[in-house]
Amino acid sequence: MNTIAPSKNSPMIALTGVHKSYGNYEVLKGIDAEVARGEVVVICGPSGSGKSTLIRTVNRLEEIGSGSISCDGNNIHQPMPAKELNRLRSRIGFVFQSFNLFPHLSAIDNIAMSPMRVKGLQRDVAYAKATKLLERVGLADKANAFPAQLSGGQQQRVAIARALAMEPPVMLFDEPTSALDPEMVGEVLSVMKGLAADGMTMMCVTHEMGFARDVADRVWFIDQGQIVESARPEDFFSRPQTQRAQRFLSELRH
Amino acid sequence: MISDIIAIIRDYWLLLLIGQYPNGPLGGLAATLLLSILAIAFAFPVSIALALARLSNSPFLNWPVTALVYFTRGVPLLMLILWGYFLVPLVTGANVPSFLTMLVTLVVYQGAFLSEVVRGGIVALGHGQMEASRALGHSYLGAMRYVILPQALYNVIPSIISVFVATIKDTTLGYVINVPDLTFAASQINNQLLTQPFQVFFILAAVYYVICWSLSRVAIVTERRITRKRAGTASQATAKSLKLAALTDQPS
Amino acid sequence: MSNFDLSEILGNPEYVAMLLLGIKMTFVVAIGSWTLAMTLALLLLGLRYAPGPVGNAFVTAYVSYHRNVPTLVQLLLWYFGIFTLMPDPVTFWLNDHNAEAIFAVIGLGLCQAAYFSEDLRSGMRAVSPGQMEAARALGHSYVSAMRFVMVPQGSRNALPALINHSVSLFKNSSLAVAIGVAELTYAVKEIENLSFRTFESYLLVTVLYLVFSLMIMALGAYVARRADPVRSGRA
Repeated sequence: MNTIAPSKNSPMIALTGVHKSYGNYEVLKGIDAEVARGEVVVICGPSGSGKSTLIRTVNRLEEIGSGSISCDGNNIHQPMPAKELNRLRSRIGFVFQSFNLFPHLSAIDNIAMSPMRVKGLQRDVAYAKATKLLERVGLADKANAFPAQLSGGQQQRVAIARALAMEPPVMLFDEPTSALDPEMVGEVLSVMKGLAADGMTMMCVTHEMGFARDVADRVWFIDQGQIVESARPEDFFSRPQTQRAQRFLSELRH
Repeated sequence: MISDIIAIIRDYWLLLLIGQYPNGPLGGLAATLLLSILAIAFAFPVSIALALARLSNSPFLNWPVTALVYFTRGVPLLMLILWGYFLVPLVTGANVPSFLTMLVTLVVYQGAFLSEVVRGGIVALGHGQMEASRALGHSYLGAMRYVILPQALYNVIPSIISVFVATIKDTTLGYVINVPDLTFAASQINNQLLTQPFQVFFILAAVYYVICWSLSRVAIVTERRITRKRAGTASQATAKSLKLAALTDQPS
Repeated sequence: MSNFDLSEILGNPEYVAMLLLGIKMTFVVAIGSWTLAMTLALLLLGLRYAPGPVGNAFVTAYVSYHRNVPTLVQLLLWYFGIFTLMPDPVTFWLNDHNAEAIFAVIGLGLCQAAYFSEDLRSGMRAVSPGQMEAARALGHSYVSAMRFVMVPQGSRNALPALINHSVSLFKNSSLAVAIGVAELTYAVKEIENLSFRTFESYLLVTVLYLVFSLMIMALGAYVARRADPVRSGRA
């Protein structure tokens, strides 16, 4: 239902005239942008610019005021039965800044639970897949550890594996390394690099400009609720077009 | 039904308010409140002493208080009142009014209870305050007196109000030794009327409700004010205060 | 006072029978009201989360009444008040089936339900909102997120308070003596009256209460440890 057969050339994510306000405060002032299939987009901008809000509207953790967002051919913000929204959400991977692992479940249970309960996967299938995913994020030996027993970096890698277990065609990252100690940032970023190399479509809010430079196909610079610049990383970092982006980049270097 | 209730209040309001006084001992609501206020007033210093004893490293202080706390947590108040009724005259060697027996029992019971609240407040402050005071040259007791207790006691004021509410509810158990409180007055009225037990006990419940509800509101408002005041300083105390609330908020 | 001699009581089969009967009645009242309280608490919690303001207002009023009126007064109101307002056939039936115990279970159970439901609610509120978000982001429905993510954590958070209140419920079963239930406190007064051995009979029953309470606390600690995945050794 409501699904336009996605063609190879249609964008994975398309935002059209997206507005959102909290009371009188307008967080998003008309966002028009697209993410192509297989593309990696890094979203950056000063705090309070609306970048987290933007990424959370893509799987409708936040409602929008006007405009539309489509993901993999599905119109996300149209009225629909709750069941349909749940199905759509299960096809959009989301990684939180604060991990939000389920503390009452072990690492492998965290990964296997939703495929079984949401998609109805057989138990052995779900666990076989979870084991593979744990290997992929380098935590095969931590399958039975509980979140409280894992470091921040390990927790975030489990959280990525948990999102991947739903086999989403797209992954959203909301500042995935901001809550981590500096020495753990690298292990999470390398998992994300691996995903990008495998051709995953990714949208990522982050302050890690090294990651943006190495992995992103495009950088969106957001300020005051608008996409001010959208450029290839090499252009953005060497020749920012606007004063706001220049100021942001120079502050970041200090 | 409603006219019955109004009639009972009109005929017996004085008995409900002060019991047989001045022709007999002070009773009714006045006795309930006096008993509760005195009990909490005496239990408070007792509880601080018990809390400090339980926090001390000396087994001679620590063990007996721990035993007392578990004893009062594990034995019904009703049993303790019976013990008080039996033991207080033995110790004093005189016939004591039941009001006094009840007061002693409540001080022991709520003192032990409150000591856990005070201890929780001290523990919730964390080590930093004690270390800072010792680093400035305060003695252990000096640090307690001037730094730790002022903060801890301030933070547990809402819990103390909750314990006060619990004490008011606990005074009803005095009926087993004929303490002339509000509940006692109501059962006297019931014995005289015989035909309207629902109406009498409904009035009784309503009076307790109004008093305890008002005090609970005071506790909630105080709690909010205190939380706002210390917001920012002691975020680690919140998890512990959750446990504290479970401790003080007891049915009785 | 004559010399301390426990055998005066424990050696007398009549007293021992009274004690055993008291223990049995205490457990009937405690377990009965605990079961009623927990069932009602879950219903009240469901009402709290139901859409619309009516359910929430009802639960608020229910909790407020049961927390601000002394439990003893609630029992008196049930047994001496509401009981007498019931139609005759009901009264006859209840009188044939140990009405005192039934009203003790109802009165204590209804009262305790208010505490249990609030314990569960605070437990649920202590679960971080990020948990619900994460579950929804994975495609769980509200009910599925509640069942597999929120409730397991919320109930675990509520355990310490539930254990505390279970102990106080057990202690409060002694209040049933006020409406004539022949439980442990009733037994001790009877035995004291017959034997004149105040100290011994009080001591015996006090120890019994203490042991049972400590057993409930120990059981609670065991359940809490089992429920804590990190410390249960399953990891």
